[in-house]
Amino acid sequence: MDKGNLLWIMPLLAASGGIFCRFFKDPRRILIFTCNMVLGIGLLGMLAAAAVFKQGQLTGSAGWFNLDALSAYHLLVLMIVYALSSFYAVDYFAADIRSGEFTPAMAQRYGTLWLASLATMIVVLIADNIGIMWVGMETTTLVTAFLVSIYPKRIAIEAMWKYLIICSVGIAFAFIGTLLVAASTSGIADAAGSRFFSWTSLRGVAGQLNPQLIKIGFLFSIVGYGTKAGLAPTHSWLPDAHSQCPTPVSAMFSGFMLNAALYCIIRHAALTNLVLGTAFFTQTVLVVFGLLSIIIAAAFILSQHDLKRLLAYHSVEHLGIIALGLGLGPVGAFAAMFHTLNHSVCKALSFFSAGRLGQIYGTHDMRRISGALHVSPVWGAGLLFSLLALIGVAPFAIFISELLIVKAAIASHAFWSLFIFIAGSSIIFVGALQHAIPMAWGKPPSLVEKPPVIKTIEVAIVFGSLAMLLFLGVWMPNGFRDVLSNAARIAGGL
Amino acid sequence: MDMFTLAIFLLILTNMVILGSSRIAACIRAVAVQGMVLGIIPLLTLAHARLGEHLLLAAVCFVLKGAVFPWLLFRALQMARVRREVEPFVGFSLSLLFGLLALVASFYVGSRLDLSMTKTFSMLISYAFFTIITGLFILVSRRKALSMVLGYLVLENGIYGLGMVLSDRMPFLVELGVLLDILVAVFAMGIATYQINREFDHTDVDKLNRLRG
Repeated sequence: MDKGNLLWIMPLLAASGGIFCRFFKDPRRILIFTCNMVLGIGLLGMLAAAAVFKQGQLTGSAGWFNLDALSAYHLLVLMIVYALSSFYAVDYFAADIRSGEFTPAMAQRYGTLWLASLATMIVVLIADNIGIMWVGMETTTLVTAFLVSIYPKRIAIEAMWKYLIICSVGIAFAFIGTLLVAASTSGIADAAGSRFFSWTSLRGVAGQLNPQLIKIGFLFSIVGYGTKAGLAPTHSWLPDAHSQCPTPVSAMFSGFMLNAALYCIIRHAALTNLVLGTAFFTQTVLVVFGLLSIIIAAAFILSQHDLKRLLAYHSVEHLGIIALGLGLGPVGAFAAMFHTLNHSVCKALSFFSAGRLGQIYGTHDMRRISGALHVSPVWGAGLLFSLLALIGVAPFAIFISELLIVKAAIASHAFWSLFIFIAGSSIIFVGALQHAIPMAWGKPPSLVEKPPVIKTIEVAIVFGSLAMLLFLGVWMPNGFRDVLSNAARIAGGL
Repeated sequence: MDMFTLAIFLLILTNMVILGSSRIAACIRAVAVQGMVLGIIPLLTLAHARLGEHLLLAAVCFVLKGAVFPWLLFRALQMARVRREVEPFVGFSLSLLFGLLALVASFYVGSRLDLSMTKTFSMLISYAFFTIITGLFILVSRRKALSMVLGYLVLENGIYGLGMVLSDRMPFLVELGVLLDILVAVFAMGIATYQINREFDHTDVDKLNRLRG
């Protein structure tokens, strides 16, 4: 079979799985069904990605879909985050299913939207057409909005409304960017017909595109998609939505949805570089957005009391770091790609721990969560180590990717950027440590009940993710290095 | 006055109605008229190949923006039982003044822009700028959830106008996808309005302020 067919099979399978969720009555069975679907689609994704890493790229559906090293790498990250979150959801919702608070109707809605969001994210990654990519991104907002308010609580609805409006308007700006890129083709004979706005054909005629329109188009795209990626200053929806949605959804938002939006920015940046013949313009813009995000995240992390909001601001910081890396030349782009995987795994794990500890303590207020290591050794350890990894403690992988970004900054003589990056990270280091130590070792409140049993799945999720972060921190296999550098090369565009 | 100028005039008038009206129902009707006119415009400026696709797209736009969206909004209006109407932060006369300034600025920029376009397209692009600004203004200056949905729709109308000028070669499938996406967005925002109303007994989004910092 032609491997290119995998591209359209994946989203179609996810979408039909979503519809299929409507036929189950038992919430637990719906959650297990989503796990199986995600695993199956993940397997197909791995097949497709493996083919890409071997042959260069896959094309399917008459050129509408294309998977290259950059999108294949993101597809792998997507699959890891969705698989972890789907399994975690079975454990997370268990108590509410028993108490009847998570009703079958809610479970059906959750399963449908969960798999639909998977389908749309895959479409964003595999779309070769610049417009279809936009359509996919806008659809992710629409299907995930009601995941935020799956528990119809006031505060969740407030967060959902902000998310829906701010991101829809942001993505509307990205559409103006898309239109400007399309307009830059005027004057070129329409040889490729309706496939003209594919990334492949745009790269092919890059020399003839109007550079002014491409420049303005990139600015609109980074503001628009940047809203969805949580880059400051348009990140204001992010801490609300990430903190109010059920935890598996938070993990998916932070762990992959932001990266999907950033992926769109990377695509636009690569084309802009190719048209302008230099990466200077996009790199400057990316560095500015990245540094701004790091500074703003640092300021807000210091004043947080809500654990999930703290983690949400960490996402703003880390997406800023990835943007900064992309703005620092080839070494930086390599580091940014590496950081993408590290952050996604680590952030998913930290949200998982925060979610379960929140259920055990009955609050997400960090002042009332203390002695987590004693109350729940597994999730306490998960929270402690993931927070340590997030702030860049060695030997976890995030330390290595941040070190690489420092190296890239020195190599490109970006000393101001380096200074701001180090200053921001140091503030965050101290701020987060100040919260983490009492949460891990403090005196547990007397009223908190220790969970009676430790489940295998909990141990597997926590220690599996930690092992992965540790492994990538101490050793990078050659094959993986090649994948990263191929992805980074495509991200650079030149 | 030719048909095209008349259409642009109508589009600008609807924006002014939306800025100055205190009744949501009137605003929804204005957006509906705007959508219908937008659907017709490609037929007035027909100058390209792929006639069939353009006709079909015009029809889809006419039906969606002119009938389906307004219907969804009216339904949300009924469900949410919004009685006290628009309630802006900025008064109506000030809104109209803002609209007038935005209109002048848009036509100034539109006439100065050098995109090697015909006179018709330059007018359309000025209208698009004006409508995008109007949409953003409504989004930030109105209190009711439904008014914000209206603002989003106006913004999308402006971008649609911009799209007609900038890329007459966008593949048909993509344009259809964009329209469907906006349909789902309006639908989702309608449901969201309903949820807000059910939980809070009002749809004043400025009172949704528990999430801070």
